[in-house]
This record gives sequence, C-alpha cells and structure tokens, in this order.
Amino acid sequence: MRKILVVTIFTSSLIVAGGYKIPEQSLNSMALGGAYVAHTTGADSAYFNPANMIFFNSDKNIMEEGLTFVHLNENRFIGQQRLSPTDIYDANGTSEVENKSIPYFHYISNPIGNFRWGMSLTAPAGLKKRWIAKPNRYTIDTSELENAYQELFAKEFTLRVSEFNPVISYKILDNLAIGGGVRVIYSEGEVYNNGNYVNLPIKREMQGNSVEYGYNLATTYRPLPDINLAMTYRSNVDINEKADSRDTNLYIGNLGKQYSANVKIPLPASLNFAISKTWLDRFSLEFDYERTYWSKYKSLDFNYGSKIPSALVEPFDSPKIKNWKDTDTFRVGATLKKDNITYMLAYAKDETPIPKEYISYELPDSDANIYSMGLRIDINDNLSWGVAYLHDEKDDINLKAGENKNGIIGKFSKGGADLISTSFSYEF
Amino acid sequence: MNRVIEKILISTNIIFVMGCGNISKPADTRVKGGEVVVDFSSKMMRDNLLQKGLIDKNQIVFGYRAYKIPYTTTDEHGDEVTVSGLFVIPTGVPSSISKLGLSMVSDDHGTIFANDDAPSVIASNSGTPYGAPILLTSLGGFATLQPDYIGFGDSYKKHYHPFVLKKSLASTTIDFIKAVKNFAYNNHILLNNQLFLTGYSEGGYASMATLQKIEEEGELTVDMAIPMAGPYDVNLTAYGVLSSSKLSVPSFMADFGYAYAKAYNKDVSTVLNEPYASILPTLIDGSKTREFIDPELSYDTTGTTGLFNPTFVDSFFKDSNFWFRDAVIENTVSNWSPKTAVRLLHCQGDDVIPYAISQITEAKMKGMGAEDVKLIPIEKELKLDHNLTHGECGEYAYKLAIRIFSKIREEKFRY
Repeated sequence: MRKILVVTIFTSSLIVAGGYKIPEQSLNSMALGGAYVAHTTGADSAYFNPANMIFFNSDKNIMEEGLTFVHLNENRFIGQQRLSPTDIYDANGTSEVENKSIPYFHYISNPIGNFRWGMSLTAPAGLKKRWIAKPNRYTIDTSELENAYQELFAKEFTLRVSEFNPVISYKILDNLAIGGGVRVIYSEGEVYNNGNYVNLPIKREMQGNSVEYGYNLATTYRPLPDINLAMTYRSNVDINEKADSRDTNLYIGNLGKQYSANVKIPLPASLNFAISKTWLDRFSLEFDYERTYWSKYKSLDFNYGSKIPSALVEPFDSPKIKNWKDTDTFRVGATLKKDNITYMLAYAKDETPIPKEYISYELPDSDANIYSMGLRIDINDNLSWGVAYLHDEKDDINLKAGENKNGIIGKFSKGGADLISTSFSYEF
Repeated sequence: MNRVIEKILISTNIIFVMGCGNISKPADTRVKGGEVVVDFSSKMMRDNLLQKGLIDKNQIVFGYRAYKIPYTTTDEHGDEVTVSGLFVIPTGVPSSISKLGLSMVSDDHGTIFANDDAPSVIASNSGTPYGAPILLTSLGGFATLQPDYIGFGDSYKKHYHPFVLKKSLASTTIDFIKAVKNFAYNNHILLNNQLFLTGYSEGGYASMATLQKIEEEGELTVDMAIPMAGPYDVNLTAYGVLSSSKLSVPSFMADFGYAYAKAYNKDVSTVLNEPYASILPTLIDGSKTREFIDPELSYDTTGTTGLFNPTFVDSFFKDSNFWFRDAVIENTVSNWSPKTAVRLLHCQGDDVIPYAISQITEAKMKGMGAEDVKLIPIEKELKLDHNLTHGECGEYAYKLAIRIFSKIREEKFRY
C-alpha cells in the first residue's frame, strides 16, 4: 500500500514543454525557465547537474521538497476530421482543462572526500489530454455545435512518469567535476477512445505501467571562479507500457472483449550545454541550449496479445506514424541575490518536436514562448522558502486539407500552461 | 420495405455499416453453449442505416446479436466432425412480437474458399454485422442460422470441405438447426416452430439437400424452402462442365473434383491432372480466396494442359459403371418430390449455374408429383430491365426470398 502511495504521489500527468517532457523539476529551475544547468545552487543540482554537487561550499546535507501546481489550458479545435475519402466529419471540440499538483524531492549528501552523492524524485515527463463530448455545447469562436469527434482518438490519453535518480559527483580538479547516475523510471499510461470509425461504434480502454532504466551524465568546468561551463546528458528510456488482459478492453457496438496489450513510447535523450557568469557574487546570467532527441519517436504502435477484430485493426492496431524531429530549446535566466532574497527571471523559446503532418489530438503541440520568475527567501542559515511562476504560451496550429496525415483539417488554438511552484530547502 | 432492402443491398453489397451508441463496460458475453461475437443495438443499426440514407426514418430496425455456436455433425462417411455456425437474433423486439417467438431462417452460404469468409469467422474477426442476416434479422425480424459447413469455422484445417456433397451439407445444416434450438432453449431465446430454408449457389444446393433429408427423417417441419441458383442436378452439371472445352471458374470445378475424390475414396490424381492434383490441397486449404486460386489452375477442361484427367473424363462419358456417374446421380437433389412448398429463385442471366438447371428441377419435381414447387425468374419478378449474372443476382435473390418469408410469417403470426 505504501509503495502504491509513493508511486501515485510522484507520478505526474501533464505536458508543459515541447512533446511530453517536463524540464522544470524544482523551484529554481521553474523560476529560471530551465536555464539552470551551469549555475545550480541547491539540492536540485542532483537532478539538473550532479557534477556541480561537489563544488558546493556547504559541508552539510541539503534537501529540497516542493510542490508544483499545474494548470493546463484547454485546447480548442475548429475544423473537420477526415477518416477516409468519403468520411469527413465536423470535429469541433474543446479539450478539458487540467489542474494537477506534482511534488518533487531532491537531496545531496555531505561531501566524502572528492565525492558527493545525491538523489532526486521527480516527474520528468507526462501528458494528459482529454476530449470529452458535451452535448449541446457550442464553441465560443464559431458558435458551432461541438461534437468532439476527438473522443475517438483521445477521450483520454494520459502518461504519468516518475523518476528516481540516484547520482554521484566527483571532483577531478578544483575547477573540473563530473557526475552521473541511474534513472529508474516508473510510468503509468491510460488510453481511452470512444467514437465512430467509419460509422463503426468502437471503444478502447487501456491501462498499463512499466519500470525502465537509463542513466545521466554531467560535467562542469570552471575556467574562472565566476564562470561555469556545463554539459549534461540524460539517456533515452523507452517506456513500454504493458497492460494485462484485465486492463485492456476493446469494444465494437455493445460487445467488449479483453486483451493483453503493450505500447512503447520513448522518453527521449537530451543534451544540454550551458554557460553562466556571476558578477559580484550577486548577479548571475545563464544561457542554456538543449537538444532533445525526439526523432526516436517514429510511431505509436499498440500491440495486442491476441488477434483483434479486423474492424478495429485500422483505428486501434495499425501503427500511427509520428516521425517526430529533434528539437532545440534556448533559455536565458537571470538571478539576483539581495540580502536574504534571491530573485529569478527567465525566458525560453521551446520548439515542438511534432511535424504538422503528424499532429494528433492526444498532443496538439506547437512552438512555445516560456516566461518565468520567482524568488527564494532565506529564513535562516539552514532554511529557505520560495515561490516561482511559469507561463507557457503556445502558438496556434492551422492545418490545411491534405496537410495532416491523420486527417485533421482546421485550427487548434488556446493550449499552453501556467505553473506555480513552492518549496522549502533545508540544510542539516 | 422492399425498396428499403433493395437500397441496402445495392448500396452495401450486404456488407455492413454501423451506427453510434453509448458503451460503458464490457458486455456480459457469457452464454451457455456459445459465444456472443456481435452485439449492436437497434439504435446503432438504425442510426447507421439512416446516416447512410439506406432506410426511411419510420423504418423499424431491430438490433443484431450474433452467437457463434459449436456443434457436432457427420461427414460423408458418417464420422463425427466438430463444426460451428452463426446464429443471429433481432434485439429490441417489442414484447407483443417476442412473445410469439422468432421465426427461423436457415441460410446456407454460397461457395467460399477462405476460412475468413465463413459466417462465424467473419463475425468473430470483425465484430460487426455482415451479410444476409442484416436483412433477415435487423430488418426482417427473423432469427438467422448460418452453418459454416465442414472445412470451415471450427473444422478449419481439420477436414476437407465436402463441396456439393449432399449428405454432409444436409447434416451440417440440420444439426445446426437442432443445435440452435437447444442453444435458444438454454439461453431463454424464444423461437417459434416456423422454419424456413434458403441459400444461394452452393447454399441453394445445400438448402435443397437439407429439405430432402428433413422430409426423409420427419423430425423437423419446414414452412417453406427457397433454394436459390443452386446446382441441384449435379449429374447434368457434370455433363455440362466436362463436355465444355473451357471452364469459367476453374476453382469451383477443381474443388468439386477434389471433394468427390475424397468422399468416394479415390486418388485425386485420377480425377485431376498434375500438377493440379498435388497443389490443390494447399490451394483450397482455407487460407486463400478464389481470386488467388483461379490463376493457379487451368481454364482448359481436360487434355494434357487441362484441369481434369483425360482418362477420368473419357471414363465418365463412356463407362456406364464409372464411379463418378453414380456419385453425381447420388448427389443430385432435383429428382424427388418435396411435400414442402418450394420456390426456386434463379436469375436468367446466370453465367455460372445455368437457369436451365432450375427449370429442369422444377419440371422434374412436378413430374414426380410435387404440388407446390415453383420457379421464379428473379429479373422478371423484380421487373428489372436487364439480366443478372451469378455474382450480381445474389442480392436480388435474397430480397425476393425475404419478401416471401415475411408474407408467410404474417399469414401465420400477424406480424
């Protein structure tokens, strides 16, 4: 029971960055919009750059515990869905607003010679998209009746991912350190589809989970005491959601049958290069470039333990081409420490990995501008508290007829997210 | 009603379309002695047919629930074979009608080669309504019975298909009718005692063979049989085919020769030329459709390059004691006098089973004393301005059969 609770608490389900990755896993990282790789100052270094842990002046244990509240805006779609050359339907719809809270925890031990170890419990990825038909609801934009045809594709599409990440840091030289750790990824996925496929009333319910492993590496070089150069790498982890026969139901008409099933999606590798400069021990500026290797995500392919009805093969069994592309994210963050308060401000330009031709309802993602700010107050020498806010603003997506391989014709608007995080840090 | 059926047949080629509905959890599919393989509510059926413009909004449409039922029958040699069939009932039937019980239509399917085309296999694999039961059950309100036949469904790859062999085709159908009655009783499905027989092409032959056996046994009663476009006179068919230089559909005749050789314990190579005798077991093993089989066979009837062994053909025409002569006569189902009302439906433009077969059958049966046998030319009855081929005719034949069955049911049960 305890294990289940822990897993549930630390499993997130949202999307706030390109794809379904969630870079911000602490107060500082959120306040700095993820521009938090070279100049990391708290227990969250265990996650964002373990090499930095050994450079800390403090010889105490450090921990941070916090909670992020996430508000995901609705997505609106106005347009049509093409299922076949002769089956084109109006598909106006609005996805659900999602409000979630995600805890996180970071810990760094006191130094042991040139070593220091730490650990993080985070939610590095997640996705929740629900398109639920609401009879007689009209879209605000067009005053057209919604039919939420999207239910067929993503009545609910949820991916919850939590990561336990023990790490170690080693100081090679006074200005050079390396770090690394093991990624233990636990995930839960839920997929619900409900609707008509070429006039066939069909439905799918699937709940799966998996435990997978990966690794992360980091290095920091300080050419000057006030300049940090850092590189971090988090490996790809293929999440293979497995559902036994009790957890997968396929329906045609009134008839449902149970199957075992699995589906694989990647938690992509990412490579960060960052540089930071600190002036007068008070003001720091950091530039961060992140390359995320989303091109690993070629297709979404559900596999079933036994043959499924032929009428369901096309909507539920045939691989859905994704062909995502690697993305570049650029971040800049500023930190100002004045008395016992640290102020943080950042901007990031986040690129979507999803080509327009393969956008689908479970993740109508687009390029985003990310604005964030926050502050941390030192209550005493050992305890600090802070709050951060991040605004993720998504671009609209216009899909012309024939442009999207999934048959979507129309416009996605709204989207984006707002996040507030608060945490305590404690040294002992 | 007739216009509706015609629209559906023409528009969908009896392949089904669906509607929408609310589903929240897996249906309870537990039944005694069978398995629910398709379940569509009347609303789903109606919504979809309406959406496709195939029915009027005032048309009564019933739901479609199909069961796959395993049962046991006997083959040509009297050996037991475990087979299967599809039983389809209308749902959402008003209680005033359901209290009277459902009338049954035993519908023997036409020639198939691929197991995937067998009724219960289609239903199990697709989970959707398909074929004649849409008309017979969802629009007609009949309980439809479709045996898969030996060689398909549960006996796939366990037994060859006894193509146009009357003993096993009749047994397969009769045993399914009995199995369905037992299944219905065990699962509280109320049937009345009204039973109709029909089928198209090989199914037409099978339904006639079934009627003959039912009358011989005296256990079941049939209200009317409507065999459609079947090769009832196998003897005449054999003469016609083997005397022609070319075969229109070689797979039919290859299956025919193969099944008869197996049923009468003859070496297949004495009936069919090599390499066809050797490759045929693989070609007709149930994994391929006719479109893949025909190109592998010869369209020449006989000779060194033909399908049939020249010695076999020569013996058939010259040797009065040749086994195949006895076999085709034994399997002919036109030379008897049915007491049951029989309507022979056939298209005059049939290019596979000549219309003349039904003309001769009608004449023979009447000549032997049958009082209620009638041949109905389909194009003429439906006032069509052109003749229909064997492939085109099936849809119209069913249309006419349902009209006739409905009229008889109405006379008896007033609905």
